[in-house]
Amino acid sequence: MTFPLGFWDISLILAITAIILLITSELLSPYYGKVNIPINKKRLKNVALTFSILFLITVAIRIISIISTL
Amino acid sequence: MQKPQKLSPPKRHKISLTKAIGLILLSLGAIALIGSILYNSQISAFIGLGLIFWGVILTYVQTEEYIKQDLLDATTLPSLVTLNQTILELNYNGKALYLPPKYLKNPEANKAYIPKQKDEKLPTPEQIQEQENKLFIENPQGILITPPGAELTKLFEKTMETNFTRVDLKYLQQNLPKLFIEDLEIAQNFEMETEGNKVKVKIENSAYKNLAKINTQLSNLYANLGCPLSSAIASALAKATGKPIIIENQRISEDGKDIEIEYSILQEEPTKK
Repeated sequence: MTFPLGFWDISLILAITAIILLITSELLSPYYGKVNIPINKKRLKNVALTFSILFLITVAIRIISIISTL
Repeated sequence: MQKPQKLSPPKRHKISLTKAIGLILLSLGAIALIGSILYNSQISAFIGLGLIFWGVILTYVQTEEYIKQDLLDATTLPSLVTLNQTILELNYNGKALYLPPKYLKNPEANKAYIPKQKDEKLPTPEQIQEQENKLFIENPQGILITPPGAELTKLFEKTMETNFTRVDLKYLQQNLPKLFIEDLEIAQNFEMETEGNKVKVKIENSAYKNLAKINTQLSNLYANLGCPLSSAIASALAKATGKPIIIENQRISEDGKDIEIEYSILQEEPTKK
């Protein structure tokens, strides 16, 4: 019994999710976006940033592993 | 005789539709993930992660509590009309003065003083402190009221997690746009400029546009104390500068969307008794 997804699969999912959320949060931004949608924009922005950071962490892990194998 | 017993209705937990959908998606996602581990299936793992993602989004990023704008107007207007009528009928002709904390015993309070006569001299902090809890004050003759934007100023402080007595004008200039546009979503644009003792504020498409539009009904109040928004900013300015503030001029566009306010920071020393 092993988890069927690899490290890179997770990284890809995180990247796609982060992009979707970042674009959504920008489109709903009160500065220039659509402001009539009643949603907690602060939380959406926080979630988008969290996913982006998680993706960047996976990238950092990959870079470190490449450097260490040199 | 037996007293009638009050029966409290049984408490029922209400789960909103969004929350219910979120929880269902989370459970389905978890089942799909467990299934993917058991049967070593990549497809069900992707489905599971997708379902968990939407479940978490729907549960965490929920709708904020909003009220209809009509409700805001309906609850605010009567008190403003009453205040306008009171000032008009009692014939208080002076310009409203937003008092800084040094004029009050309670530094958290926001008060405005309207003198009886137009060219009345500034009262001293001692004169106001002596009669702080009175509405009509005798020496100097005037009215000491809680301005329409007093609670809004407290909300600004609460949202910014600060006390305006501890900040300066520059801080307000830098942080009020974010508060108005992003944090409280009161307006679509907010600009603040300072020129010597004058502060100019421009607000675009505010949530109070319907109240601003009917300024003919509240002309005396708006010219004197300002609308709730301009009043709140005046209170904030009084706290930050530590000096009395007056609303020199307030221009509202015909559709009520654009408001331009000019404040004056009073520099002159109050006259001693």
